[in-house]
Amino acid sequence: MSDLLRAPAEIKYAEELDWLESVDDGPKPFSWRLSPKMVRLFILGSERADGLDREISQKWYGDRSFVERSIVTLASDRGLLLIGDPGTGKSWLAELLSAAISRNSTLVVQGTAGTTEDHIKYSWNVSMVISKGQSRESMIPSPIMTAMETGAVGRFEELTRSTSDVQDALISILSEKYISVPEMDSDNIVFAKPGFSVIATANSRDRGVNDLSSALKRRFNFVRIPVVTNKKSEAEIVRFRTEELLKRHRIELDVPPTLLDVLLQSFADLRASAAAAGSDDEKLESALSSAEQIGVLEDAILHSNFFGERALTARTLASSLVGSLARREPEDLAILNKYLHGVVEPRSKEEGGSWPEFLEGGRDAIATLS
Amino acid sequence: MSALDEGTPFEALRGQLQAAATQFADGPDALEGILLGIVDDVDRAVREPLEIFPVCHHSPASAVAMARRLREKQPKVVYLELCEDMAPLLPELRNCRLPVAVQAFASEVKGFPEAWAPLSVVAPITEASAEYQAIAYALDTPGVELVLVDRSSDHVFQWQAGGEEPAGPDDPPVEEEAALHGDAVGVEIGDLRPRFAELEEHLLHHGRVRHWSEWWHQYVELPLGDSDHDTYRQVMLLIGSLFRRLAPGDTDRVRVDEDRERYMWTRMREHLAATGTDPEDCLYVCGAFHASSRVEEFGVHGTETFEITPPGESTWQHGLIPSSHAAIEAQFGLAAGSVSIAATQWAKNLRRTRVQPFRLEGQAGARKAAKPRKASGPPAPVAPEAPADKLSGFLQSPPALDRLDEAELLGWSVEIVRSARRNGYLASTADAIAVFETSILLAGMRDRARPTPYDFQDAAVTCIEKETVPGRRDVRRLVEILMGGDRVGQVGYDALPPLARDVHDRLAPLNLKLQQRGVQRALLDMTSQPELRRCSDVLWMLRHLMPHGAARPIMGERELGKQSVQESWDLALGTHQRALIELGYEGVSIEQVLEQRLRRVAYAPNATTAQVLGAVEDAVLHLRSGRLADELGTHALEVLATERSVDGAPEVLRRVRRLLAYYRISRPVLPAWIESFAKTGYAHYCTLLPTAFTDEDATVRQVAAMLGFLFSMESLALSLGCDRTQLDLAFAQSHPREPSRVALLWASQVHLGQLSRAELRERCDGLLADPLVVPAYPRYLSGFLHALEPVPQLADFVVEAVSNAFARLPDPVLLPWLPKLITTLRSEGAELAPLLIREAGRVFPGRLAALDAWVPPWQAAPAATAAPEAGGGARRAVLLVAHPETCDSVAELLGCEGTWEAEAPEPSGAVLVGRHPETAAAVELLLTGG
Repeated sequence: MSDLLRAPAEIKYAEELDWLESVDDGPKPFSWRLSPKMVRLFILGSERADGLDREISQKWYGDRSFVERSIVTLASDRGLLLIGDPGTGKSWLAELLSAAISRNSTLVVQGTAGTTEDHIKYSWNVSMVISKGQSRESMIPSPIMTAMETGAVGRFEELTRSTSDVQDALISILSEKYISVPEMDSDNIVFAKPGFSVIATANSRDRGVNDLSSALKRRFNFVRIPVVTNKKSEAEIVRFRTEELLKRHRIELDVPPTLLDVLLQSFADLRASAAAAGSDDEKLESALSSAEQIGVLEDAILHSNFFGERALTARTLASSLVGSLARREPEDLAILNKYLHGVVEPRSKEEGGSWPEFLEGGRDAIATLS
Repeated sequence: MSALDEGTPFEALRGQLQAAATQFADGPDALEGILLGIVDDVDRAVREPLEIFPVCHHSPASAVAMARRLREKQPKVVYLELCEDMAPLLPELRNCRLPVAVQAFASEVKGFPEAWAPLSVVAPITEASAEYQAIAYALDTPGVELVLVDRSSDHVFQWQAGGEEPAGPDDPPVEEEAALHGDAVGVEIGDLRPRFAELEEHLLHHGRVRHWSEWWHQYVELPLGDSDHDTYRQVMLLIGSLFRRLAPGDTDRVRVDEDRERYMWTRMREHLAATGTDPEDCLYVCGAFHASSRVEEFGVHGTETFEITPPGESTWQHGLIPSSHAAIEAQFGLAAGSVSIAATQWAKNLRRTRVQPFRLEGQAGARKAAKPRKASGPPAPVAPEAPADKLSGFLQSPPALDRLDEAELLGWSVEIVRSARRNGYLASTADAIAVFETSILLAGMRDRARPTPYDFQDAAVTCIEKETVPGRRDVRRLVEILMGGDRVGQVGYDALPPLARDVHDRLAPLNLKLQQRGVQRALLDMTSQPELRRCSDVLWMLRHLMPHGAARPIMGERELGKQSVQESWDLALGTHQRALIELGYEGVSIEQVLEQRLRRVAYAPNATTAQVLGAVEDAVLHLRSGRLADELGTHALEVLATERSVDGAPEVLRRVRRLLAYYRISRPVLPAWIESFAKTGYAHYCTLLPTAFTDEDATVRQVAAMLGFLFSMESLALSLGCDRTQLDLAFAQSHPREPSRVALLWASQVHLGQLSRAELRERCDGLLADPLVVPAYPRYLSGFLHALEPVPQLADFVVEAVSNAFARLPDPVLLPWLPKLITTLRSEGAELAPLLIREAGRVFPGRLAALDAWVPPWQAAPAATAAPEAGGGARRAVLLVAHPETCDSVAELLGCEGTWEAEAPEPSGAVLVGRHPETAAAVELLLTGG
């Protein structure tokens, strides 16, 4: 167990990556540490038919073709833009890809309203500039510039949150593959090494806030990651992430499969009702993604571990669900209330199981909140 | 299991597989059984004297192999796995543009549950299919016979009948998927797909492909594209046998499959025996799945134990309907675009292998005339060779990797970018380069040198698709179109059923190409071209019979007694060709079909009087058939007599009024049925009236409609011998309690003269004055509003009542009622509102200034009513004095004698002059010129 709260993928899976590198005999583009097929194997996990000596666990759940298209894009001349609803695993996929390809997933620029061009290119260490003048030593390279210099994959999270002029700084980086530093007289161009590429993520809910310019759009290949609606793979994801979480917190708590079913079913119901809703007021503000589910479960687990009886109950799950999803005071609560009365109540009468307790917990939580 | 002679060509392969089975499964067990069984199946089929040709649907490889084999072997008889009752239609294929589907259709079912009707079976035929090759060869080669040997369409359903699942359109049978093609059950030659879901999943997963179609294309279609006949045949047999053996034991499905095999072999043996054909001269074309059959009846020397049951009594109609690649894909669960890709592959295979395909002479829609068949003329048939083991070689050779066809991929890349640009994408040459590069990289990741169309599709989506789709089509769809697109077939004029041909003939004066797909605008000016009136008749009937959109009037209407002089129509008969063809199964002319449909509607067990009257109206309107209208009208009478509710009363009233008005102006005498209808209706509604007034289920509107019927038909009914007493009795028995009905009753009583307006007014005032009843006043009003339907002359009173409500109702009653009044008036009183508004316009002052001095007429009523009385008397007297002749002659007739008494002459005009001398003085002044 590492002493990091959350180790990046290349540290967490260092041993797997080392092993894969040692057995990889496929052609590797540029300075990639693994061949494209091995990258895919690392992300999607191995099967018996792959004929490997050891098992590689699956780390990202979703359509195989998304991963293949992403890898291929990185091997080509263009940047990769992962676009999708919040919580669909875009950043996680980006992290895994950069970990597998360049063994460094930490070259990240976080896009915010306050991101400036300096964050993408370089800035100066003012005191060094005063003492030594503008030179390579007094320059502070951005993560993207570092990626260029080392031929690694740079990441740009939430690209569409940063303003358009800042986004456009990427255009020359993606096409010319160099950054010029006009402040210096000599050695004033930083060229990208082979292997450099950019993975950006964008939230499809932010569309229209800072739309990408057409020039930037055509330098990116878009891979849209949909919300997982397949119950089986969703269960896999939730289980996988929860286990990770329990391990991280060193919690020994059992998640009963029936409760997992209750959670998945309730999200499926809420998604169906959101799809049928006519206006924004009739649906929850939350995107109801897998990440939200994991959040609900995490909340319930932590709560039962520290404040409860060290066992996860349907009541706790319900109150976590209500607590996490009720964001707008009258609207969201009304929807959840309607859901409890209209769907959960009949079901708890029909099916029994954990549902009656879930219903009760949900009602209590709503009563407390409203 | 293996009962084989020594010296079989597959001995070596058998040994290898046995060894493999032993190695993998640690000894003889199921695996060995399966592996060796497969070899047995192949061996058995290969050695069958009647050559079996296994095919797979929509497989260009099958089609090429078929064309090649037919040229080599030149069989005299071709047996084809296709429903035997479809045979007469096949020659018509040459009049059609493929793909089309052969359809068997039964609208009246016998021996099956009613819910299954109509039964429909379709067998789509595309050009890139082995069956089309066989059909074209057999039909265009003299001396060759084509025999369809599969069970008839009726058997398709018969054999389902035993199963648990009904074969309704929404609940497709197990082995054939029903979908498009108009809810038909699809039959297809050579349905070849693993029935074992896990096997398919496994194959897809390890083939790194997404759909079954893609797997087939990659692992069977391409390697077999160039193979020789024996290899092709053995590999197909192997696949058929593999899927057959690795199938879950679904007994129903297996039973149907085996019965079909027994059926086919029995039919073939019958044919061989009847014609004395040598089995060596025959070719049996069937799905690979059926080629490796293990039934006893298999083979020329199989047992004769299967008894073919006669088809059921349902009447089957046959025809060709247009089909499309998309429809085939949807119906048979293929990946979108796969049939189009197969068509492209077929064209490519032909170019590469230089095989000359067969094509029906005069095939419509052919790009260019096929090489004359004679050119392919009989090179001597190749002597049959002893079967050799081609399987071992095929199985042992590494997968034949297709070389990268750079030119083709470049072409695709450039083309997709162009097409994306046309569809609003910001795509450029840089994208073409990226698509090209990405396709190769993707194919590499998926272990193939040459990108498949599916890889290319992924690459194009990756590089061109951004966050929004600018136009109607996304990149995925554009690639599908690029790969051949959806091709929609068309049934040629000559292959159409008589009804459809008749429709086209009758619409010929429009000078439109109605066979073509798409919407066409027809303009009919009947004044300058009276002959177009007949086209218009046809169009109105089509509008009634065909799905929405096939014939849509833009301008012009047809109602009873009305006919437009100009009409314009949007016609899409080409697009709805299937619907037109299916109409053809119901009759030989649209009039006949319409008549049948109207009858069906009218005689349906749950038909209401209103529906029957609707059918009568349609019969008059479209068929101008007095006979049918009279018949249906008489039936309406019967239906009315059995009706116990008044639900349909408003509709009945509306329709009867319309029909009555029409008959009155168009015929010298009313038809007998409508007279009886008025009589029966009068008596019927009189009987139902007392109950309707108290029945809570009947709405006020329905009761009002009943009253409307009674009052408006009264004169007619009474003239035909009805008794007014019926109505009086009915009213005497009616004691409604609910306010709106009470109001309705009062209004009716006013109409009947049982209640005067003054009394009615008094009652309403009483209601308004009584604080206990006031809250119910709006409901009384609602009754009065509905009363406008039967008693329209009460309009002024209703205006008065509403005005009183506004004036006198307390706010807590008035305000909540107002919105309701408006919504009710809008939803239910659309026809009555104009009447009310006109009346209100008459009563209320027109200008605002006049309002202050205005006194409502009802408040000034007593004076107003008194005056006419006096005036009336005076007028009478004046008239009598002026014209005494009438009175004299009447008196004379009656034998009365008397003399006229001179009445003191009343000052008439003089009175006015006396009162207002100013006018006279002014006139005098004018005349005298002063």
